[in-house]
Amino acid sequence: MAESSVIGAGTVVSGHIRGQGSLEILGRVEGDVTVTGNVLIGPEGRVRGQVSGAELRISGHVQGDLRATLAVLLEPGARVAGDISGPRVGIAPGALARGHVQTDAEPAPVAARPAAAAARPITPPVRLAAAQAAPTPAKFEAKPPAAPLKFEAKPPAAPLKFEAKPPAAPPKLEAKAPAAPLKFEAKPPAVPARFEIKAPLPPAPPSPPKVAPPKPEMRKPEPVRVAPVAPPQAEFTPVRPLKPEPRRPPPPVVPVISKGTKAKKKKSHD
Amino acid sequence: MAGTVIGEGLTIEGDISGDEEIVIHGNLRGRLTTTDAVTVGGTAVVGADITGASLSVAGQVTGDVTASERVDIQAGGKLVGDIKAARFTIADGASFKGNVDMEV
Repeated sequence: MAESSVIGAGTVVSGHIRGQGSLEILGRVEGDVTVTGNVLIGPEGRVRGQVSGAELRISGHVQGDLRATLAVLLEPGARVAGDISGPRVGIAPGALARGHVQTDAEPAPVAARPAAAAARPITPPVRLAAAQAAPTPAKFEAKPPAAPLKFEAKPPAAPLKFEAKPPAAPPKLEAKAPAAPLKFEAKPPAVPARFEIKAPLPPAPPSPPKVAPPKPEMRKPEPVRVAPVAPPQAEFTPVRPLKPEPRRPPPPVVPVISKGTKAKKKKSHD
Repeated sequence: MAGTVIGEGLTIEGDISGDEEIVIHGNLRGRLTTTDAVTVGGTAVVGADITGASLSVAGQVTGDVTASERVDIQAGGKLVGDIKAARFTIADGASFKGNVDMEV
């Protein structure tokens, strides 16, 4: 009954594996593994999913939780990203682990205890954890650029709105300050840029060094008196971006129509 | 030694693919694709389309089979599905239901 199974080095299983007996994984498994016997994951073994068994001996890579009824043993070269729980947990020097580790029997996966305490029993794993920590910041770094891109996409639309307005607005603005419109055109891009900076800051505190430099540059243009004038435009743009333009020409037409309608009405009454 | 062995009592729900021999004594539901031989043992229950170089069936298989070399149904074996293979044998005592395409 307790027959052993093997997922060969050249085999990929996409799905769940469960049942009785022990299992040896030398290839790739993308799915949960749940067996009553032991699970051995070879150096070239790759598992993406939760692994449950009596004794888990890991030499390969696992991206998922490990739960054992007897023991979890991470051999040198093992790389585990996930929570580990079992009565006995062994992490050999040279093994990488990142996640919550619990050496208790098998209570509910309580997260009350900080993972840090359990995760730092051995020095090498800590260093490795630090090394792994590097990639995570990279993820954060990657996020900021993504956010600005979204904002950048908006600015181009905004400038267009501003550019479109000047032609209609010039008559009003020319009386006040002919030079002003030029400044406004240049500022619109700067204003959204400020928002870009503010947005990424709260989500990614580690990235300030990169974000900081752009701020001063952006602030310099702000001091100009025109700054207060720019925001009003921004307020108008979000509310009614392109609609105002088409509406402006019609107004003159409307009164004409109203006159005509009255005349028509009178005529009709007549 | 077979590259991959699915022991009796083990169940796989999903796809298996690879380039080595696969022996199944347990249960498989999904799809099986390899470039090498596939052996379905007497205790196996397979509900999957199978693609491989050759297939030997001693257990139960439900699904279409495509083999580049041959398909053999052993005595006691049971196969329900269409078969496409250059060579195909059915042993006395085996059961089979489906179409056969031997690329004549």
